[in-house]
Amino acid sequence: MKKYLIIFASMASLAACTKNIDSYNDQTKAASSAPPATLFSNAVRNLADVLTSSNVNTNIFRLTEQHWTTTTYTDEPNFDIYTRNIPQTWWTNLYRDVLADLKECKRLLPTSTGATPGAKANQNAMADIMQVYTYSVLVNTFGNVPYTKALDYDNLFPAYDDAKTIYDDLFTRLDADIAALNTAEKGFDASQDVVYGGNVSSWIKFANSLKMRMAMTVADVNAAKAKSAVEAADTKAFGSAVDNAVFKYFAITPNNNPIWTDLVQSKRQDFIAANLLVDKLNALSDPRLPNYFKPNDSKVYVGGTPGATNTFSLFAKANDKITAMDFPGMLLDYVEIEFYRAEAIERGFSVAGTAAAHYNNAITASILYWGGTTTDATLYLANPAVAYATAAGTWKQKIGTQKWIALYNRGYETWTERRRLDFPVLPAPAAPKGDYPNRFTYPSNEQNLNNQHYAEAAKAIGGDKASTKVFWDVN
Amino acid sequence: MRKQLSMLLCIAMLSISSFAQTRQVSGQIKDEKGQPIPYATIKLKGAKGATSADQNGNFKIEVTGAKPSLLVTAAGFDASELAVGENGSVGVVLKSQSSMNEVVVTALGIKRNKNVLPYAAQQISGDQVSATRSNNFVTSLSGKISGLEVRQGNAMGASTNVVIRGAKSFLSSNQALFVIDGVPVDNSNNNSANKSTTTSNDQTSGRGGYDYGNAAADINPDDIESITVLKGAASTALYGSRAANGVVMITTKKSKRGLGIVVNTGVTVGKIDKSTFTKYQKEYGAGYQQGGYSTTASGSPNTSFWWKDAFGTGSNSLIVPTTEDASYGARFDPNLMVYHWDSFDSTSAFYKKQKPWVGADNDPVSFYETAIATNNSVFVDGGNDQASFKMGYTRTDERGVLPNSRLLKNLLNFGATYKVNDKLTLAGNINFSKIDGRGRYGTGYSKYNVNQAFRQWWETNVDVQELKDAYNRTGQNITWNWADPTKPSGLYPIYTDNPYFIRNKNYETDSRYRYFGNASVNYNVNSWLNVLGRVSLDSYDELEEERIAVGSVAVPSYSRFNRTFREFNYDLMASVNKDLNPSLNLKAVAGMNLRRNYVNSIYAITNGGLVVPDLYFLGNSVSPISAPTESDDKIFVDGYYANATLTYKELLSLDVSGRYDHSSTLPANNNTYFYPSISGSFNFSKLLPNATWLSSGKLRANYAEVGNSAPFSKLKDVYDKPTVFGNATLFSLPNTKNNPNLKPERTKSAEIGLEMAFFQNRFGLDVTYYDTKSVDQIFPVAVSTATGYSNKYVNAGTIRNRGVELSVFATPIKTKDFSWTINLNFTSNRNKVLALYDSSKNLQINQSSLQGGVSINATLGEPYGTIQGKTWNRYQPTGEKLVGANGYYSITSTTNNVIGNINPDWIGGIYNTFKYKNLSLGFLIDVRKGGDVFSLDLYYGMATGLYPETVGNNDLGNPKRAPLASGGGLIVPGVTADGKANTKRVDNTSYGYYGYVYNPAAAFVYDASYVKLRELNFTYSFPQSLISKTKVFKGIDLSVIGRNLWIIHKNLPYSDPEENLSAGNVQGYQSGAYPTTRSLGVNLKMKF
Repeated sequence: MKKYLIIFASMASLAACTKNIDSYNDQTKAASSAPPATLFSNAVRNLADVLTSSNVNTNIFRLTEQHWTTTTYTDEPNFDIYTRNIPQTWWTNLYRDVLADLKECKRLLPTSTGATPGAKANQNAMADIMQVYTYSVLVNTFGNVPYTKALDYDNLFPAYDDAKTIYDDLFTRLDADIAALNTAEKGFDASQDVVYGGNVSSWIKFANSLKMRMAMTVADVNAAKAKSAVEAADTKAFGSAVDNAVFKYFAITPNNNPIWTDLVQSKRQDFIAANLLVDKLNALSDPRLPNYFKPNDSKVYVGGTPGATNTFSLFAKANDKITAMDFPGMLLDYVEIEFYRAEAIERGFSVAGTAAAHYNNAITASILYWGGTTTDATLYLANPAVAYATAAGTWKQKIGTQKWIALYNRGYETWTERRRLDFPVLPAPAAPKGDYPNRFTYPSNEQNLNNQHYAEAAKAIGGDKASTKVFWDVN
Repeated sequence: MRKQLSMLLCIAMLSISSFAQTRQVSGQIKDEKGQPIPYATIKLKGAKGATSADQNGNFKIEVTGAKPSLLVTAAGFDASELAVGENGSVGVVLKSQSSMNEVVVTALGIKRNKNVLPYAAQQISGDQVSATRSNNFVTSLSGKISGLEVRQGNAMGASTNVVIRGAKSFLSSNQALFVIDGVPVDNSNNNSANKSTTTSNDQTSGRGGYDYGNAAADINPDDIESITVLKGAASTALYGSRAANGVVMITTKKSKRGLGIVVNTGVTVGKIDKSTFTKYQKEYGAGYQQGGYSTTASGSPNTSFWWKDAFGTGSNSLIVPTTEDASYGARFDPNLMVYHWDSFDSTSAFYKKQKPWVGADNDPVSFYETAIATNNSVFVDGGNDQASFKMGYTRTDERGVLPNSRLLKNLLNFGATYKVNDKLTLAGNINFSKIDGRGRYGTGYSKYNVNQAFRQWWETNVDVQELKDAYNRTGQNITWNWADPTKPSGLYPIYTDNPYFIRNKNYETDSRYRYFGNASVNYNVNSWLNVLGRVSLDSYDELEEERIAVGSVAVPSYSRFNRTFREFNYDLMASVNKDLNPSLNLKAVAGMNLRRNYVNSIYAITNGGLVVPDLYFLGNSVSPISAPTESDDKIFVDGYYANATLTYKELLSLDVSGRYDHSSTLPANNNTYFYPSISGSFNFSKLLPNATWLSSGKLRANYAEVGNSAPFSKLKDVYDKPTVFGNATLFSLPNTKNNPNLKPERTKSAEIGLEMAFFQNRFGLDVTYYDTKSVDQIFPVAVSTATGYSNKYVNAGTIRNRGVELSVFATPIKTKDFSWTINLNFTSNRNKVLALYDSSKNLQINQSSLQGGVSINATLGEPYGTIQGKTWNRYQPTGEKLVGANGYYSITSTTNNVIGNINPDWIGGIYNTFKYKNLSLGFLIDVRKGGDVFSLDLYYGMATGLYPETVGNNDLGNPKRAPLASGGGLIVPGVTADGKANTKRVDNTSYGYYGYVYNPAAAFVYDASYVKLRELNFTYSFPQSLISKTKVFKGIDLSVIGRNLWIIHKNLPYSDPEENLSAGNVQGYQSGAYPTTRSLGVNLKMKF
């Protein structure tokens, strides 16, 4: 009998090794704490990716704005944004992959170590500026979106806020951020500030430039607000291309420019130049043409018809410069700001200089950015079809057309500015599958999951349709 | 050695004794109710040969020896051994077996008599699954058990989806638990979805990757004695949480006295069933449109081709548009000479030569090869009064229908028992398996899967055998899909690799070394109390390596995934079996189970390409590799349980059980939970002893609850760690929010059943009705991503499953030489999502998006598993499909329309067995009625014009694909906004009319019903008279076995409705579907 007891006892002892099993549920292969700056860097990187990308599942504005078009798969140039559930990806990338990390960064800052209170205040302002930037993109894309109730994991189905009210609050936040930025204190470490390398002065210029952009965006519906904001920001905004909010990619995967992934690494032949832009550049002998595109196999710059099936070799396509692994992304640049200044003057805002001078500055800066010379710019601006005095149409048409050219490769900004300025007029694609997107329809997940608030928002904006206009798009 | 000698001596003694005197004995064989049993077999123990009883159970037999005894066997009855007395007449009473007196193995390996079992448990013998010699015995369960739905993919070694009584969990596994000899074994599905954080490699979302099969297939089928399926919570409560989805209990063979050797050897060949593969139209070739490939200004004589300078000669010629992976181009014309893809392959006989514009002689059907599998096994057992052992070895070597595919399995098992004395028995067994895969089939919408091109994006002018030659000549990725063949820099594949290059260069390899087994001590304290102690281990290590070769369309890469799995179970169990008085029996069990799970893995992949071609290790990465993804999961559960069964005169039984679990994965203040079950049975046939027509009858009812805990580490949050960006360290919030306030989830189930058998068990049935509700489930609900998360873990939701299970057996004919038996199983389950979380009306089950704009969902108020996507707008007054002003269907912009339901209305199987003397013929008809499947293959393939429907003549008698001006084109059936029939004729000269371009996803949802001849088994047993002459054999069976020989009926064209991407909750979706393999084999079974 004793022998058996020994056997049982030895078996029981095998089992008795672990007493308190509750402590074994902790994840040991992931971090449970992180420095706040790392979340900021990640958010900015994700924002740059989504705005830079040419992926047809996310960023299709180069196609809808007829800078580019496609060869074989023509759904997107024909305004089909549903098949690939594009609004869902865009929305999720901005909320989940950008805004949430910025919020987490701000949450962690007060208790983090290694930075002075003053530096933390600067860092908090920088994170907030990027949130303001991101929310402005969301509003410009969808109209009403969750804002006051967003980013709360205890409110899983948040209500939507009125787009204009969100914009008003974004202005308030931006002003507070500008006020909070202190050049006497440090910002993020140079390595973690992936836009300005830790330079607080640059952030002040960026914030003011963003303020100017947002102000001009609402200029048609809130001229007073636009006027005061632009006038306040004018002298503090970008003064040259040195100030540009550039996002630098690396010539190494996976930190390369996403355009390279889509166009070069994939070896696909999906995208070619669209005829509207190529024809325009040809007609104007635009010096940027050889920098925007490379010619077709016959060494000629020809653009394809949007929405039609096009043979890759017959058409011009994106220049090798754009498809380089380390071609930088751009969040906001001097070219845009100069166009805004020109426009502000036309709207009667009190901004230094003349509309023509700012218009010329913008175009010159664009030509230089793309690799042209000041001689090229001077020659180009002398073209009567370009010169501000003689170019066709109203100031909206002049600025709209040149801005549409200058914002090449920045699909989202082109879309927003063209919706606002209404020029140039885009011809219909070959076989439209839906309406031109004045906005993105809400993601299908919102319909399914957040049904009540979705329905309220759809009603409030006048129907969840691609043809519904965002609040500032009144013309 | 000494023992062997003594064994031999015993055998010798037996044979000597048979020379003693002989006499004749006669008798009659009856059942328990006094009815004669016809055609029983009577054998004199220790002698050769046997005799049969006649129709009235009467027999005569010659007996010899001092104390002769007879072995009496009859189908449907327990075998009986009886001593022959001095007089020449014996009466034999056999206990009926086929339903009621059967011993059923229940939870924790407890054996129960079926006549008092208060819950549904269906048992089949090991022969019924091993006879088909399938290398995954799980597939052989299909159609043989009611309540059990088995879905198997067509890929070699594909995982098998085994769901009992419907899906109960929203997002967790709904797979049944597999238990071998009372010890749970892991049945993880280790497909690509489970290891990588990248969605591009997510196999269950149909975006590619491999199906690595499921681990339950590691069991040696020749070691299986029986399989019992415990369906409801009452029967599985003792296993605790993990058995909420039902249990497939496997009992391995017990050794018999003496030495037994069984050898199986067989070979199987397989060919694809062409009714489950694409049929290609033969009228038009490459292109997305007729005309338009060259401007008219270029002077091209046929603008459906490229008009280019092909070889720098300065003059243009017609070239097949090789980038166009569709077949909506030029009409075939044997008189038209054009440059094809191989005109640009300098190794081709057609280099720089034109060929006629005709359809391919060898379409992709010819890509599929003949599958060959060999199966060899040897099983040895033996024993004496004190000790016994068994040893088995099975080797299956399967080469699939795709080139370069092989799955090699080596399964070895050993078990032994030693009876120390009357009280103490020690036992142990160990199973070792080694699974080696190479070239498993790539699945879904990916470059790994040759069917993505074959079924969806293909040029009907491409001859697959020419592609084979091109690959064999060069070993390079020479393909039909050149980016631009007219210039050297364009001689690379743009979208699609040569399928032979894919199979031979972009192959995976995998291996799994597995050990499982247990050691137990069993002590009989006294006649009614027994104590069992057992330690068991299930342990495996696996390695999966995937490759993309330099030269492929996709970025060259090498990835490796190492995973180790360890599960320890420590059991201590005391059981009581005591007759409290002559009519009242108590069986009770009390015990504890400590479960310890450790799973860790590491996944790494090269970054940015491979430096040296054909060299596959992580260091060969072009760019520095990102940090590998690691996991180290631990789940500990301590369970304490008790169960008591009171049986009154085998008439009534009452069964009560309870289990208390303490889980490591729940919050410390809420991590223990108790759940009970109560069951009863009423064996009413005992009250009707005079009803001779009624062999048995039992009514049973039960109610049970099962608690369940959370997955590993879902309470506290951690950060994701993206790759360092330059010098910037990155961290990110995860996409799923954890929840520190989780509580145990619960499944409640009730069941009522009736079992009856009639006419001496010639006919019987077992019918069950059940109702299961799973509440407070722990799962990551999908949330508005405006929260900053995609999902959050909560307790929420209710799924109800209700259903009827029916098993019927019958022996319509039974004569001396011939018998016919039927086993029928029928299951009808209805499930419904009764609650989700908060205001949400829908939960998407596929975690990453499926191609084609469809999703598989749990929708409030609908069955679990709705297919959603775009559908037709309808003309409201009549519900007819609305046609827009452009002449095409008006399609919803919303994608949340329910367009299908993956659940069948019912499933069933009928197994017929015919026996004539030594011949037996068995076949299984497997039926599934209803349920839907979305076909991405037709969604795209119809658009690209591969299928015969896209050609031929229209209603005017003109070619559909002729231009409108020539009388071509089609009228979309439907009504216009004014309710009148559409009359607008639309063009069909370019892609899309039949496919996704102009039709909603709903147009590609098909009824998934099928009727299949699943198994066919024709066996000849060599007669004993012949066998005995050999002196070597005890028996020889020669079988011809067929599997999936004939799909008798289906409604899904060009594919097998059963084909899926993988086991798991995402069913009802096909992309790059594999054809069914019809297999036919022979097997020789020899007993020594």
